[in-house]
Amino acid sequence: MTRPPQIVAFGGGGFSMESGNPLLDDHVLGLTGVQRPKVCFIPTASGDADHYVVRFYRRFSTIADTSHLSLFRRDRGGGAVEGDIESHLMAQDLIYVGGGSVLSLIGAWMAHGIDRILERCWRAGVVLCGLSAGSLCWFREALTAFHGPPEVVRGVGLLPWSNCVHYDAEPERAVEFRAAIASGQLCSGYGADDGAALHFVGGDLAEVVTSRERARACRVEGVGGEAIETALQTRYLGATAVPLAA
Amino acid sequence: MRTIFAMGGGGFTMEPHNPALDEFILSLSRRREPRILHLPTAGGDQDPQIAAFHATFGDRACEAAHLSLFRLGGTGPVHLRDLVLHQDIVYVGGGSMRLMLAIWREYGLDAILREAWRRGVILAGLSAGAMCWFTGGVTKSTGVPEPVEGLGLLEGSLTVHADGEPERLPVFERAVADGTLPPGYAADDGCGLLFRGEHFERAVSSRPDARAWHVEPDGAGGVRKTPLLPTYLPSAGRADRTTPPDILEFRRERRGRAG
Repeated sequence: MTRPPQIVAFGGGGFSMESGNPLLDDHVLGLTGVQRPKVCFIPTASGDADHYVVRFYRRFSTIADTSHLSLFRRDRGGGAVEGDIESHLMAQDLIYVGGGSVLSLIGAWMAHGIDRILERCWRAGVVLCGLSAGSLCWFREALTAFHGPPEVVRGVGLLPWSNCVHYDAEPERAVEFRAAIASGQLCSGYGADDGAALHFVGGDLAEVVTSRERARACRVEGVGGEAIETALQTRYLGATAVPLAA
Repeated sequence: MRTIFAMGGGGFTMEPHNPALDEFILSLSRRREPRILHLPTAGGDQDPQIAAFHATFGDRACEAAHLSLFRLGGTGPVHLRDLVLHQDIVYVGGGSMRLMLAIWREYGLDAILREAWRRGVILAGLSAGAMCWFTGGVTKSTGVPEPVEGLGLLEGSLTVHADGEPERLPVFERAVADGTLPPGYAADDGCGLLFRGEHFERAVSSRPDARAWHVEPDGAGGVRKTPLLPTYLPSAGRADRTTPPDILEFRRERRGRAG
């Protein structure tokens, strides 16, 4: 089936952060348009942590054809994808990138050319999604603040914007993000709360879906040395609670 | 004194019941309680490896710490340069050399380690953590052995696990023979090569049969291998140990003052 290039960038959420809330993960599975999609997990940002890989299989193995790509243990036969990584990834319906360290992820991907392979997957219609570092990586740039003042980290750049995840949960991060956009250090972009996901078709935002009724996302534009934040319309994926009669 | 100790394999990750090489690493520092920092980047900063490091060094005469690049920032900003230059010893673990070097570059850690070496911080490591200091080595980062570029602090090349992973050595010998890699060294598991300045000083081992060679082109399309004859370390094979009473007393004192 032919699908347009799509990326779903979670501010936070899915099986890694909100176990028991299936909404975001089910939504990205639905975007594949396939009854039993092929889903590959890429846990690079966690250092290919075993416990994370296990949680992925627990969540998806009954409803999808699952696999994972381990860049750290390619010589040990740990059950991960081996050999021709590109053909395997190109054959997927959904590629799900886990959270962790975005700087480590970018370094590791570039060392193995994974960034370029994922761009080809995206153009071919493989749905790409991820949370936290697995969300930041798709954008042109983001902020990292691991040693003192925040610094710009360059992502794979499929989306020509900046991105800030955990926008509600880590308010200092959001403040630094707006300041960096105001000063021109970062290009204009998007902030997403935990439980909010930005769905891009091509390079354009198509909609914001949420797994929590209160989760929000915003557009942040740099205009004349200021950061202008505009709230975006969201669509809650769950059933809206019926108010109890008094 | 610039010091690098490169192990073909061994130490706490590969021979947890044989402390010889790890104790040798501590002995390289003149300080009574050297600060030793473990870099588990090449293995993806996995918890079991970090736990094994602390289990080995936690009650020895040293101040042991680790640096997990995958979890930086979780406990506040980390000043990488200050942290590394503050050490007496940096101990780099094994795993994927290609990933380790690519990730170090993202954090600027390659330049910091180079500076640390020039300032006399002892650099030690096994496998990827041994080859990385040389011009090049042989990695299995993509599953098959192939030549890879290192940081180049030491001129020359190194291949590791010469006995434990025999598929590496032929690839290394071909690369040295045809000039893809410069002349260098091959080391078995359990064998460590000590370099002072830019020069090889001696080989030591934790296993009686561990070997190492200097490998260079023979001028006829092959290589010439010269055995290096490692010294078998006295603590090799010793499984149990007790923390010396004066170290225990020192720790009690320090805890008392801190409390």
